[in-house]
Amino acid sequence: MTVIHENMEDVGAKMKARDVSVYYGNKKAIDEVSIDISPDYVTAFIGPSGCGKSTFLRCFNRMNDTISVARVTGNIELEGENILDDTMDVVQLRARVGMVFQKPNPFPKSIYENIAYGPKIHGLAEKKADLDLIVEKSLTRAGLWDEVKDRLDDSGTALSGGQQQRLCIARAIAVDPEVILMDEPASALDPIATAKIEELIDELSGRYAIVIVTHSMQQAARVSQRTAFFHLGKMVEYGPTSDIFTNPIEERTKDYITGRYG
Amino acid sequence: MSPITLIIIAIGLGLAGWLAGRAKAWSFQKASPDTRPVARPVYHAWYVAVWVVIPVLAFVAIWSIIAPQLITQSVLASPGAQNLPSFGFERDAWLAEARAVASGNAPGVFNDGAEALVEPYRAAIQRYTWIGIVLTVVIAFGGGVFAFLRVRPDFRARTRVERTVMIVLLLASLVAILTTFGIFASLVFETIRFFGMVSPVDFLFGTFWSPDPMSNPENPDGSRYGAIPLFWGTIFIGAIIAMIVAIPLGLMSAIYLTQYADPRLRAWVKPALEILAGVPTVVYGYFAALTVAPAIRDAAMALGMTNASTESALAAGVVMGVMIIPFVSSMADDSIAAVPSAMRDGSYAMGATKSETIRRVLFPAALPGIVAGIMLAVSRAIGETMIVVMAASTAANLSANPLERMTTVTVQIVKMLTGEGSFDHPATLSAFALGFVLFLVTLALNFIALRVVKRFREAYE
Repeated sequence: MTVIHENMEDVGAKMKARDVSVYYGNKKAIDEVSIDISPDYVTAFIGPSGCGKSTFLRCFNRMNDTISVARVTGNIELEGENILDDTMDVVQLRARVGMVFQKPNPFPKSIYENIAYGPKIHGLAEKKADLDLIVEKSLTRAGLWDEVKDRLDDSGTALSGGQQQRLCIARAIAVDPEVILMDEPASALDPIATAKIEELIDELSGRYAIVIVTHSMQQAARVSQRTAFFHLGKMVEYGPTSDIFTNPIEERTKDYITGRYG
Repeated sequence: MSPITLIIIAIGLGLAGWLAGRAKAWSFQKASPDTRPVARPVYHAWYVAVWVVIPVLAFVAIWSIIAPQLITQSVLASPGAQNLPSFGFERDAWLAEARAVASGNAPGVFNDGAEALVEPYRAAIQRYTWIGIVLTVVIAFGGGVFAFLRVRPDFRARTRVERTVMIVLLLASLVAILTTFGIFASLVFETIRFFGMVSPVDFLFGTFWSPDPMSNPENPDGSRYGAIPLFWGTIFIGAIIAMIVAIPLGLMSAIYLTQYADPRLRAWVKPALEILAGVPTVVYGYFAALTVAPAIRDAAMALGMTNASTESALAAGVVMGVMIIPFVSSMADDSIAAVPSAMRDGSYAMGATKSETIRRVLFPAALPGIVAGIMLAVSRAIGETMIVVMAASTAANLSANPLERMTTVTVQIVKMLTGEGSFDHPATLSAFALGFVLFLVTLALNFIALRVVKRFREAYE
């Protein structure tokens, strides 16, 4: 049913989803999707609004647990361990699989405290000096250090939208995750801030496995190496980004990327 | 009786004005359907109605003050008034009696001398009632005709009606503010009188409270007016014991209800908690006096305290704490629920547990609402009277032992004002000084709480 451009087993996947379905009550939002997430590439999920790409993304760190009516079936492995299993500790999982949301959501705390939040709750820093180091390193990686190093005590909510989103990325990488999930991270930002975020994603790829949900096809083309096209809860086509955009096989993919709908 | 008649007349005329204004506006609109009117007919209607009703209401307000005086004056001018006693008190009594008989509120006079005044009174009341009605109608017509003539297609009735609405709303909000000032002013006035008799130093720093309302008011014994035991009792019962009960229980129930409880359970428990706030405090008083206080005494006896009494600060404080749980939990519940879910999700996505998320993200963001709820609860507890009367006695006592009898400021206010002393006795006036201190303390508490919240809140927007 799904068109796969390459043999998935060759990738050496970080995360493997197999036959994942998500139900909201009786409604099936995701229908038996299987995909591998490569540690070396940025993987983009594209598709029209309501196609389920965000819902699927939230399966990878079990954020759907916070929605009482949502139910997930199938398997998702993180290095061989099924994260959908009841015995999986979501606290551990979310330390390994970080997330950045559509709307920047810094905590109403200082910039420093925003970054220190994760390391504190996971006990990553023994001394204040260690914490300082983590904060500096994370902000540097997120390309925000130079802009905020003199005002680490200011509230995170006082930053501009683009800075807030980079703060959220820094917050996610502060706990040193293996995978970062990004749910339309630039959709609430202006073009300049968007360009900065895309640049940042580029720099972070390779160090972290990155999965990005976007409704902008140009963005997927710019930042990702693998693209999955979703439509009506199904994954229609998956493959190298260049193939998907230049040589789509499925009619629906072709229609979507040529702008005929969505 | 008479002002209500006048108001009913005004409303009737206002309705007539409304209909007339609307009819006129519609006739304009029909006459030239092509031109777009500045205001819809209904605004012209309201404009006329406002001009009828508001001047009349203003007139009624003034008239209800001056009419009785005019009536009394005309009675005093009548021949029957020549026999009136010259002594003020007796004279007022005669007049009041005659007035009551004349307006049908009393069957007959007690003082024979008042008999002669009944007839003049009756005539004067009748005369001025008619004058009032005529003036009302004249004013209503005057306003109505003035407004009606201004109703034209290009007249901006809408903006004027909107402005009137704004002014009415402003006046409504002023009532509350002016009342507060009025209360404050009356307290200040009586408090100054009290401090003219008893030194503020004795009052604020003395440790013995036992005013004697039967003593000589000219020479009060300042050492009996030491209010420290009352302030301490108020703080100990209302702000310490009650809060030790209410804050943890209230906050924990709010956190459970917003974060852990099943929605169906929440739908039951939250209203049930709020019912607790609606129980009259007298009922809590029974509960404190008949159930909690004896239980505390028995427990104290069992622990070997032979002198435990049935009335204790602890009993009153604990029951008061239970009473104000809904104030704390309801406000905390609302403000925790109002924290955007993006904050919560952000924290969960970092791998925070539920309790970490509550402690580190939701709680700081909801702090202003939580503190506001606690302040409301403290104010309620400090002002609470019935539970203390029934469970903690009316005798002042300065002690840190919660098992002893104690009393509070509000209880003493009631005791002093309902006592046998005359109104200008310092024992009675001390109630105003106590009220004044209570007022200032509550004001200061609110002010401090606002500042604290401003400093420590984590604003999410």
